[in-house]
Amino acid sequence: MDKIVLRITRSGGKRVSYEVKYRKGMTVLDALTEVREKQDSSLGYRHSCRMGICGSCGMTIEGLPMLACQTQVSSLNKEVISIEPLHNLALVRDLVVDILPFFDLHRSVRPYLIRNDVGERDHSDREYRVLAEEVSKFLQFDYCIMCALCYAACPTVALDPFYTGPQAVAQAYRYMADPRDEGWEKRIDLLDTSHGVWRCHMAGACSFVCPKDVDPAKAVQLARMEVLKKRVLRKRGREGARLVSPPMVGAAKEGVKPPPFDFGGAKE
Amino acid sequence: MKRGQRFKSGLVSSLNPSGYNLERWSYTVHRITGVILVGYLMAHIFETFQLTGGALAWANTMSTLHSLGPMEMVGLWLVAGSALYHGGNGIRLILNEVFGLFMGKPILPVYPYSPTSLGKSQKFAVWIITAFVLALWVWAGLYLLAGLGVI
Repeated sequence: MDKIVLRITRSGGKRVSYEVKYRKGMTVLDALTEVREKQDSSLGYRHSCRMGICGSCGMTIEGLPMLACQTQVSSLNKEVISIEPLHNLALVRDLVVDILPFFDLHRSVRPYLIRNDVGERDHSDREYRVLAEEVSKFLQFDYCIMCALCYAACPTVALDPFYTGPQAVAQAYRYMADPRDEGWEKRIDLLDTSHGVWRCHMAGACSFVCPKDVDPAKAVQLARMEVLKKRVLRKRGREGARLVSPPMVGAAKEGVKPPPFDFGGAKE
Repeated sequence: MKRGQRFKSGLVSSLNPSGYNLERWSYTVHRITGVILVGYLMAHIFETFQLTGGALAWANTMSTLHSLGPMEMVGLWLVAGSALYHGGNGIRLILNEVFGLFMGKPILPVYPYSPTSLGKSQKFAVWIITAFVLALWVWAGLYLLAGLGVI
């Protein structure tokens, strides 16, 4: 394969083809950059880190939502590659979609630690005690990079623009499973609505396209079980993890000098 | 496509599972069979409603239905298949959604990623239900053919 053709759906729905010279290791983002630098500077697309961390370059490649920076041209095994904007999001220009409604949904589930005593949370010299096995219950969902691929893949979002969406529900569950959080009941009230967790019909497309294996489909089902625990089993919210002094704070109070930091061989 | 409009959203996009996972295909079939069942339910209510018009009205309705010939049986066969799939897959979804079965527990993702909610147990459940439904659907078809006197 010497050359590839990018068939890009641009603003107005017009499909424009660009021929790009293929080189080994080329990603779809590399190919798009080459088009913009050498052929058509008006081509609009969004990107930033180029390493699958920022989640900016989500687009529909060969019919599936993917990160352009993580998609190797060779893995598609095609000489003509179709590229479209992400589905289910409003178009801004060419491959750029308006991600703000998606971020608003994320904010709507209050994706932060809720504590009854905010002063204690914000102005403490101590830290909340969390065990490793407790972390394992929510760490997977903490890897979300908010790329909106799950949102674009979700067939329920396609029909119901008011649906909270897999990403936001997964983030709600991430905090519900966090032992430091005391907002369990508040989040259940946010999710237990006609556009909340009950709209999911377990198509699993969100988990299928997730570039970080956050597995939103699993989080949605787990969140649903939490809602049932409250509504059916009448479970009440728990008290969050207690503050404990980190080891070095206690040692400093007792006048013990902390050991020197290990710089991995480098001299201070 | 105009600026500000949601790109490729709506019913067609929702029902298109092309390129996606097995569960997404299952979702599409579940939706379509659901619509068939709702359509059948409406038609069934309309049909039984004719009883209120007396024996003659009922006889007319029946003769109209029978005049469809084999199409009536094909329709019933489709309804039977829809009911079987929708019911069978519905049981899987209840196990998924209420009891968290086939979903797996939260894990630490390790590359190459493989979501546990779409893992082997989930796939196995989908295929088992599909096989079971197909077997029963074939049986229902044979039963209807026997009713027609074909076999």
